Amino acid sequence: MKNAVRDESFRFVEYSADAAERIGYSNYSYWRAVFQNFMKKRSAVVMAFVFFAIVIFTFIATAIGKFQYDELRTSMMEKFTSPNSEYWFGTDNLGRDYWCQVWYATQVSIRLALVVAIGECVAGIIIGCVWGYVRWLDRPLTELYNILGNIPTVIYMTLIALMVGQSFLIMAVSLIAFGWLGMARNVRNLVMMYRDREYNLASRCLGTPVRRVLVKNIFPYLISVVILRMALSIPSTIATETTLSYLGLGLDVNTPSLGLLLRNARNYFVNYPYLLVFPAVIVSLITVTFYLVGNAFSDAADPRNHV
Amino acid sequence: MPDKEKLIEIKDLQITFGSGRKKFVAVDHVNIDIYKGETFSLVGESGSGKTTIGRAITRINPVSAGEILFKGQRISGKISKELDREVIQKCQMIFQDPMASLNERAKVDYIVSEGLYNFHLYKDENDRKAKVEMALREVGLLPEFASRFPHEFSGGQRQRIGIARALIMEPEFVVADEPISALDVSIRAQVLNLLNRLRKSRGLTYLFIAHDLSVVRFISDRIGVIHKGRIVELAEAEELFLHPLHPYTKALLSAVPIPDPELEKKKKLIIYDPSIHDYSSDKPVWSEILPGHFVYGSQRELDGYQAEIAAAG
Repeated sequence: MKNAVRDESFRFVEYSADAAERIGYSNYSYWRAVFQNFMKKRSAVVMAFVFFAIVIFTFIATAIGKFQYDELRTSMMEKFTSPNSEYWFGTDNLGRDYWCQVWYATQVSIRLALVVAIGECVAGIIIGCVWGYVRWLDRPLTELYNILGNIPTVIYMTLIALMVGQSFLIMAVSLIAFGWLGMARNVRNLVMMYRDREYNLASRCLGTPVRRVLVKNIFPYLISVVILRMALSIPSTIATETTLSYLGLGLDVNTPSLGLLLRNARNYFVNYPYLLVFPAVIVSLITVTFYLVGNAFSDAADPRNHV
Repeated sequence: MPDKEKLIEIKDLQITFGSGRKKFVAVDHVNIDIYKGETFSLVGESGSGKTTIGRAITRINPVSAGEILFKGQRISGKISKELDREVIQKCQMIFQDPMASLNERAKVDYIVSEGLYNFHLYKDENDRKAKVEMALREVGLLPEFASRFPHEFSGGQRQRIGIARALIMEPEFVVADEPISALDVSIRAQVLNLLNRLRKSRGLTYLFIAHDLSVVRFISDRIGVIHKGRIVELAEAEELFLHPLHPYTKALLSAVPIPDPELEKKKKLIIYDPSIHDYSSDKPVWSEILPGHFVYGSQRELDGYQAEIAAAG
C-alpha cells in the first residue's frame, strides 16, 4: 500500500477547548461608535458648533444688550434708527431696540422647536409602535392617519388660532397634535418590518411580554430613524412657526418669535432692509446647521455604518 | 415502548392558516406520542408542516382541531395563566437560523437571561449573573462572552447562545427546529454532540425537526415521516431505515447521498408519485403494522406492506 503511513509520524497536539472559543474582542459600544462616526464628519462638527454657539449666544446677547425685553418702551422719536453704537441692530417701527428683540425671539423659536420635536417624538413613537405591532389596530389608525394627514395644516392652525387662541402653549400642543403623524407612520413601517423577525419569535417562546419586545427588540432598531426625524423636525418647526406667525396664525403679539419679527418687517423692509435681514439670517442659520447636523448624526447612529 | 412515560401526546392535530377561501390546512390528523427522554425526529420536505407542529407545541401557532397534551394536561387552545407559564418554561425551542434568531442590538447577557427576567427566576443580580455564566459554560462558551454582541460570534457559537437561552429555563422538552441546517458542515457535529450530551445530563426530551436524514439517523430514537401535513410512517430509527414501507419514505431514503462515488453512481433514485394511492373507495387508516411501526395507507396497501414484511423475513 503506497498510502500507508507510520503511526509514529503523527502525534496528538495539545488542545484546549477554551482557547478554541476565544475570539477577537472588539469592545464594541453602540453610543461610542455613534460618537466616533459623528466626529469623523468635520463639516457636521463645525455646524453643530455653530448651532450651539447661536443657542448660547442668545443668552449672552440678551444679557449684554443695553436694553431688557421687558423694559422696552416705544418712542416715536427714535423709530427706524439704523444700527449704531447705542442700538446695535437699530430700532423697529415703534422705536424699540431691535437687538434685544431679535435674540429674545430666537430663544422663543428654538424653545418652541425643541418642545415640539420632543413631543412629536414621544407621541409618534408610542403610537407608531402600537400601530405597527397590534394587528387589529392597523386599519383604524391608518384611517385616522389618512383623515388627519389629508387636510392642510394651515386650516387646523387657522381654526385653532381663531377658536382657542394664540399662545406658546397652544402653538406647541397644536403643532405636536398634527406633527406626530409623520413620525408615527415612519415608526409603524419599521415596526412592521421587524415585528415578524425570528428573534421576536424566540422572545415569544421565552414568554417575553409585548411591552418588553417593543422596548428591547424593536426600539433599538428605530433609533437612527427617530434621530433623523427629530433633527429634521426642529428646522421644519421653526420654518412652520415663521410661516404661521407671518400669516398672523402663530404666536400672540406679546411673545416675539422670529416669524413675528419677519411679519412686522415686511411692511418696511424696502426702506429699512436691516429689519428683515437680521431675523432672516438667523432663521436660515438655525435651519441649515441643524439640518446638516441631524443628517450626519442619523448616519452615525445607523449601525450599518459602524465598522 | 408502551411502558415509558408519555411527555407529549398529539391527538388528531389539525392546524390551518387563513380563513374562508384562503384557508390552508398545513397539518392534518397528526398523532404522535413523545416519550420522556427520547429524541423524536420529524422528517419531510420543505413546507410539509414539520416546523408548524413544533410551533404548535410551544403555543406559537394556534391549533384548529385536535389537542396537544403535556404530561397529560391539555396545552392547546385556551389554558390558564399558570399552565401557560409552566408550558413556556418546560417547553423551549431552538431555532434554525442562528443569524436571525438573536437580537443584534442586545448583549449576550440580556439574550441569555431574557427568560429569567420574564418569570423572575433569580434571587438577585448576582444569582442571575451566576446562572448566565453556568448556562454559557454548559454550552462550551466562555463567561466573558456575556458582555458582547451577537455579531461578534461565529455561526456555531451563535447557535450555542440560542441553546443556552433555552437551557437557562431548565426545560424538560425542547423543540429543535432544524438546529444545524444553517450551520457550516464542520461545526454541525459540535452542536449535535452538545445536544446529545445535554439530553443525557439533563434528561431532556427532543422533538428534532430536520430534513437531513443522515443526521436524523444519528441522533434519533424514533422517526416520523411527514408529507403534506400528514404523518405517513412512524417507526424506530433503525427499523425505519432498514424496512421503509410507505413509498414516500422509500423515495426519501433513496435520496440520501452515499459517501462512495462508485455506489452513488449506481444508486437508483425512487420518485414518489402520490397518484399511486387510490383512496376513492378504500379509505386510508393510521395503523400499527408491526409493534411500534405505524404506517398510513388503505387496507389494500396495508396488506401489501404485510406481504413485504413477510417476504423480508
